[in-house]
Amino acid sequence: MGISRRDFLKISAIGGTLLSGLGSYYFQRVAGIQQSGVELKTVRSVCSPNCTGACGFEALVYNGRIETLTQAADYPESEYDPRGCLRGQSMVNLIYGPDRLKKPLIRVGKRGEGKFRAVSWDEALDHVADKLVEIMRKYGPESVAISIQVPGTGYVHKGAMVRLASMFGWSSLHGYTMNGDLPAFWSQTFGVQTEEFESLEWANSRYVVIFGSNVMVTRLPDAKFLTLAAERGAKIAVVDPNFTPTAAKADEWVQINPSTDSALALGIVREIINKGLYDEEFIKTYTDMPLLVRLDNKKRLRAQDVKRLKEVVEKMDVPEYREVFVIYDVNNGFKPVNPETLERDFDPILEGEFEVKLVDGKTVKVKPVFQLLKEEVEKYTPEKVAEIITPPNRDKSEYTETIRRLAVEMATVKPLHIIYGASNYQWFHGDLKGRALSLIVALTGNIGKSGAGISTYAGQFKIRWPLGAWWSFKGRKNKWVTYLLWMNKEYRESEEFKKYNRETPYPKNDVKAFLFGWNNPFDQHNMANRMIEYAESGELELIVAIDFQMTTSCKWADVVLPGVTWYEKYELTATILHPYVQIQQPAIEPLFECMPEIWIFKELAKRLVERWDDEELKRRIAEFYPDSQLFMEEEEAIRGGRWNLKLAREIANKASLKAIELMLETGGELVEGITLEKLLKGPVRLNLPTPNKRQIPFWEQINLKKPFPPQSFPVPLSKTARFVKSGRIEFYKEEDVFIDLGETLPVHKDPFVDTEYKVNPEAKMKYKYVYITRNALYRVHSTHSNNITMLELQDFKPRVWMNPQTAKENGIKEGDLVEVYNDRGKVYGYAVFDTGLHPGVIIFEQGWWSRYLRGTSYNSLTYPWIKATHLAYFVPGIWEPTTAWNEAACAVRKVQM
Amino acid sequence: MVRYGMVIDLNRCIGCRSCAVICKIHNSLPPGTWWHRVETVGSREHHVSVGKFPDLSEVYLPVPCMHCDNPPCVKVCPVGATWKREDGVVLVDFERCIGCRYCMTACPYGVRQFNWEDKEKAIEKGFRTAGFDGEYVDGYRHGYPLDHRTKDGRLVYTPERPRGVVEKCTFCVQYIDQGLKPACVRGCPGNARIFGDLDDPNSEISKVLRDKAYIRLLEDVGTEPKVFYILPVRKKGRGIISYSTKLEVKR
Repeated sequence: MGISRRDFLKISAIGGTLLSGLGSYYFQRVAGIQQSGVELKTVRSVCSPNCTGACGFEALVYNGRIETLTQAADYPESEYDPRGCLRGQSMVNLIYGPDRLKKPLIRVGKRGEGKFRAVSWDEALDHVADKLVEIMRKYGPESVAISIQVPGTGYVHKGAMVRLASMFGWSSLHGYTMNGDLPAFWSQTFGVQTEEFESLEWANSRYVVIFGSNVMVTRLPDAKFLTLAAERGAKIAVVDPNFTPTAAKADEWVQINPSTDSALALGIVREIINKGLYDEEFIKTYTDMPLLVRLDNKKRLRAQDVKRLKEVVEKMDVPEYREVFVIYDVNNGFKPVNPETLERDFDPILEGEFEVKLVDGKTVKVKPVFQLLKEEVEKYTPEKVAEIITPPNRDKSEYTETIRRLAVEMATVKPLHIIYGASNYQWFHGDLKGRALSLIVALTGNIGKSGAGISTYAGQFKIRWPLGAWWSFKGRKNKWVTYLLWMNKEYRESEEFKKYNRETPYPKNDVKAFLFGWNNPFDQHNMANRMIEYAESGELELIVAIDFQMTTSCKWADVVLPGVTWYEKYELTATILHPYVQIQQPAIEPLFECMPEIWIFKELAKRLVERWDDEELKRRIAEFYPDSQLFMEEEEAIRGGRWNLKLAREIANKASLKAIELMLETGGELVEGITLEKLLKGPVRLNLPTPNKRQIPFWEQINLKKPFPPQSFPVPLSKTARFVKSGRIEFYKEEDVFIDLGETLPVHKDPFVDTEYKVNPEAKMKYKYVYITRNALYRVHSTHSNNITMLELQDFKPRVWMNPQTAKENGIKEGDLVEVYNDRGKVYGYAVFDTGLHPGVIIFEQGWWSRYLRGTSYNSLTYPWIKATHLAYFVPGIWEPTTAWNEAACAVRKVQM
Repeated sequence: MVRYGMVIDLNRCIGCRSCAVICKIHNSLPPGTWWHRVETVGSREHHVSVGKFPDLSEVYLPVPCMHCDNPPCVKVCPVGATWKREDGVVLVDFERCIGCRYCMTACPYGVRQFNWEDKEKAIEKGFRTAGFDGEYVDGYRHGYPLDHRTKDGRLVYTPERPRGVVEKCTFCVQYIDQGLKPACVRGCPGNARIFGDLDDPNSEISKVLRDKAYIRLLEDVGTEPKVFYILPVRKKGRGIISYSTKLEVKR
């Protein structure tokens, strides 16, 4: 149909008149909605999905509803303003979204079907308490497992769930290892859970090398500090198989084969050593490089075994978690090393071989760790490394040059900061890569100084100060269950597990009840669909979900208890990206019958205690709330028939504030002087022991010569100091499992060889691609998967990213619906091409709820691999088997419609 | 006299689209309506590289209304509904707009939108497209909740999105008239934006524009836009000296 411009104008003119008439109807409606005299108010809270950004947000409240959200921009260091991103800005889409939970629910259909009946709080809580007590009687309390995520975003309410678990001796799943966010090299090398710069420090580096981290997308509020570093003259280099927005902002992109960073790092280390570019003073003082290792048994030489030194050592006062090792001093020969200080009273020889007479009369050969390292890295010549790291479509000779150049640059431009990304360490040999990268910063003396160090930025489960007063009920302790052991039954029964497991516990009757809050494990953690199998088979006898919206996991639950968002309660937060303590505050009343979680756990505790034989608990249950008066006040209201939701919420809010005060009062030096009153006014910086309270890892070790490790809360130092018994940064690991696996020193091991290809040699041909599930701009893990604005920005479609060459090999056109699969599972998405992606990689963005994937799951392809070195000790979330999401081989094909 | 303008530093822009989203939430835009967009230049898909491998790049371009000093949209409006205010902000009077869409044809930047349908319908449709059964609970709607009129009484912001009118970015007129910066400026985690008075030589924006090279979009069409872009610095070839005496020309 042809319409001339003239006709069009005529039609429009008529339409215009008509429409403007309609328009005035709207204006009348608006006038009706906008009530005169109703006040606009703003309330500051902290955006707290399972992201550790901890961004201050201001909610604009009108008529009891949050109308807009804006970054609060009130940090004392204005460089931090404004913290927050598109997800936090559109959080109203979830608070008031169609998936918002309204009432407690009890399942009526089959598990996973999503059929529930709405019930009263009393009915739901009694039902859960009955079932739990039944399971506790039958299998023991440790068969009840709880899971919270990112405790740093919720010390009060997440803490309340841990407090509840401690009352009865339930097992906790540690989110850090469950998520694969624990970078195992930290405990192996530095004896800590994790350390990292606050992002403000990024700008103080002069050279930043990012190994497989997409900071510009996954750390939005902090990304600008990289830009700032570049503006101040720093060089930014990105080492990544894939071109990313972070690579786009960098000065240099070094594309390498997937999971070959350890080879590159060791090639760089070899250059640094051979060119003499290492900081000798630094490695002699702070690392185990001078310590001697016996060649006969590959263990470190202990002073007590050396004839000459035995008497001296016996007089030394050393805690049981330490060991006195030996160096060879330039002037005095063999000398014991005091592990309790880094003040050096010796001048060690770093290279060579020595003979030493032992107490038992034997003479053995020993070498310093540095000598062994030098011999080990000799294998990693630039040519050999280029063979390993150069992608198929690139020129190897260019890479040999790049390795040499990067080594010189990294060794000479200071301060150097290495960011080691989670996507890169969530591999089976992620620990080896981390140890190799740590070598670079240690050899060049880039640790413990402003802008100098190595950081990892995922999960950050570490809590900032001791919280025992709130998290544990009357000093009672949690038990623990390692997530991967729960998912990996075969490994639990394997010979390898029996041989190497020293102290990792497992409930004797398995996990029978699963309670989770603030997470969506049935999308995010059903590794190879294991969790779904446990739910379907009934092996899991009870599933309870606490959330504010109907997630995939709520659909799998037997009981769903509706909680609240961070704009509906009081909460204390202190995460890692910046060291500010902040509080969440209620901008609005909880919607519908949703309740602050502290109340939910208090009620559960109360009902469990009635059903469980424990006299102490029965007597002291009122103390579940930090002020037992508050507990009694609510009980009296119930007895007097005066109880209602509003009253219960008011009391819960008071209890939350009390819990905040309790944690601040009992938190020690780090929070001394930080009060609730101050926090109500705005963010307050932790009392870090550094100049200007800046978050600079290992500042005390390097500058005050305190031994490694600094304490990782909440565990006592004795638990973690045994990881680095020498009190130094340790690159040599002498535990049997490291010796057996050939990993005493950092080495490179190819991906899949010890995993996919070992269990199925055919996988090498059948599943040629690496399956990477990266983080998306539009979600925080699976939170915001159902955010209408985020969905719109993605055209409502999940995508599968690949190199056009990969697509061609598989007969795929851009926009095709494709299936990524392996023997374990499959996921659907629409093909997007990017020449910047490594041709051996297929990318899916994690976090899509199953309902957007035609019922499939991206975690049906992944597998709960367990690495034996992670069983050498057990400290929950610190030394424990950790998930290797990316250790998954896959194939891709077009879906035939 | 105040004359408002905006600088967007493309070196600092990380393409996170927070500006587009905060704009949408604050200005009560329903699904399907965007007053502000961010795309990767030259790429069909946002955050996908462009260029010849391995020399790749990604440049992100946020596009709000340019608030032209010589706005073609104003000239074609037959009813005077769209006009340039004395502070340089180009606005639409929703009560006067007749929805003829001449302005949309005239605007070379494509930043104007026509409300084909009622906001309620757009919301319902958006949620349906996204696979939801319902929409916001209890009739919730986001956005700055109060109408805003200019001093002379013209309706330039309303939380409703009236059908049959043309709308666009207003530099958040409801905020700037209260002395606050536009939402996209307050909400940019990359600190890529500077907003202020172009006529004040001491304002931050004037200083930046004096010191840095910038461009404006489609400068040659004479619209005199007041959104200025600081161009990203290409990394390739930086730090490398290339010198030879011979002229090499491919014939």
